[in-house]
Amino acid sequence: MRSDRIVFTDVSKFYGEVLGVNKVNLEVRPGLTGLVGPNGSGKSTLMHLMTGLLRPSRGKISVLGIAPDRPEELFRIIGYCTQYDSFPNGATGIGFLRYALSLHGYSKAEIDERAWAAIERVGLTDAARRRIAGYSKGMRQRIKLAHAHCHDPQVLVLDEPLNGLDPMGRAEMIDLFTELAREGRHVIVSSHILHEVDLISDGVIMIHGGAIVAEGEIREVRGEITSHPIQVLIRCDKPHVVASEVFRLEHVVEARILEDEGLLVRTRDADAFFTEVNRIVLAADVVVETVAPADESVHAVYDYLIGEGVGGGSA
Amino acid sequence: MTAGPPTEARVWRSQIWTIAKSEVRRTLFSRRSFAVYLLVAMPLALMLLRAIFMPDTLRVNAPDATTEFAEVFHFFLLRFVVFFANAMIFVRLFRGEILEKSLHYTLLAPIRRDVLVLGKYLGGVLSAVLLLVPATTLTYLLVYLPHGRAGLSLMSSAAGVSSLLAYLVIVVLACFAYGALFMLAGLYFKNPMVPALIFLGWETLTPFLPALLKSLSFVHYLVSFAPVPVSLGAFALLARPVAWWVALLALLASSAILVFLASRAARRLEVTYSAE
Repeated sequence: MRSDRIVFTDVSKFYGEVLGVNKVNLEVRPGLTGLVGPNGSGKSTLMHLMTGLLRPSRGKISVLGIAPDRPEELFRIIGYCTQYDSFPNGATGIGFLRYALSLHGYSKAEIDERAWAAIERVGLTDAARRRIAGYSKGMRQRIKLAHAHCHDPQVLVLDEPLNGLDPMGRAEMIDLFTELAREGRHVIVSSHILHEVDLISDGVIMIHGGAIVAEGEIREVRGEITSHPIQVLIRCDKPHVVASEVFRLEHVVEARILEDEGLLVRTRDADAFFTEVNRIVLAADVVVETVAPADESVHAVYDYLIGEGVGGGSA
Repeated sequence: MTAGPPTEARVWRSQIWTIAKSEVRRTLFSRRSFAVYLLVAMPLALMLLRAIFMPDTLRVNAPDATTEFAEVFHFFLLRFVVFFANAMIFVRLFRGEILEKSLHYTLLAPIRRDVLVLGKYLGGVLSAVLLLVPATTLTYLLVYLPHGRAGLSLMSSAAGVSSLLAYLVIVVLACFAYGALFMLAGLYFKNPMVPALIFLGWETLTPFLPALLKSLSFVHYLVSFAPVPVSLGAFALLARPVAWWVALLALLASSAILVFLASRAARRLEVTYSAE
């Protein structure tokens, strides 16, 4: 039965005695989803399982209603850009895509049309007839992305797709992912660089040691972590006045004035805090520049959940 | 973009043909094909040297060429060149892509794994036949050539041509049978040359085995198509010759079973390059 979800039901994967992923239960909705975790956490295993390159030791997977052990159906709706930086010997960029498309059963004209469209979309038109072996790392990454989406799939699975790209390339690719997600597709992007995922994802799946530690929209996930008070940064003209007022609130555990940066408040009840802060601002006639959550980033959430300071926060 | 969706059977045919063509290209026109070309060139080089340095006393005995080719074919072409050329071509169909770390691109295409196996097998058979049939024909020519006009007229006579065709049938059937076996070995073993050598040992021992065990080898059926029998030595155990249609059925049926087993192995195939 067709569905618009990617569903993992109690999925485990063992490599002999070694655990790949453990008892994963997931539902991925359309949009841009970040799969976050440190190296070796099980991100690639999860993606391989989704695309049938690995078979689960236990459990069931369904990609829009199709089981991954039916490649003849699955790869009409899914494209996968793996982390492997290897290509068939002697292949040129355009030849590589033409061969992949010819296996879909398209006509010759359609193969050409789709291959050139994909090449153009990743900005490799000039290098299309050159051998991939002579491409730079960034170009190889681009041709892999072209390979993943040249057949116009409904689901795109991208394993560390921004690796090796220069800042300009990253920005272009992020635009491409966002555009594809906006078209109603599933775009699942894995990264160990949390900052990257934070910028582009609608939702996140956080994985650690082969287990899913959190899943959902970043804000939702953050809201569920009650052990760490939510941090709010207020930039205004009278931070001292606001600090003294908010500190009287029962749910506020800390109010700290940061030099030139504003006021950082830690509260156990964000909703109540935002209501109260409006009242304080009006009563004290404070001019406010911004009031914004300071730790609703994937990085902060991951740090709270795993507590290992993973990811480094920037590329 | 297209007029209508293609039927499933048409898609399979097109996929099998696309994969087969790609395998032929990879086998015949890539760097990895050098070793296979070298192997196939060996009987040609040896027969050429023989033709150049053959003493005049031997050149006059044209009818001897028939026996000479039969011996070259049985002991060198079939048991060495055809065997190892097939091993080199077919074990690489999957194993080569695993070592090259590019197998995932094939597995990420909308192809049933059994269709993939058939495409690769067909590509392997075509490549092997394209290499070994001309090599056998040229070797045949080079065996008769030193015997001058008498040799050439013997070769081009009806008996000579039908002999050559019988040898070529053996080569083609060997490509089907050994090919299926080596493709399966390439899916199961990290170093498929080890089981290939063990199988070569078995095939070599066949003449000295009792009839029941002989029937478990390919060469036993293949030689039943040979137009000229050869002596296998004093210790060889004679067995009742196999009828050509039994041999044909046995070879094609065992090839089909091996391809079926390869399809099952391919369905369970996972991409874990780090484990290779």
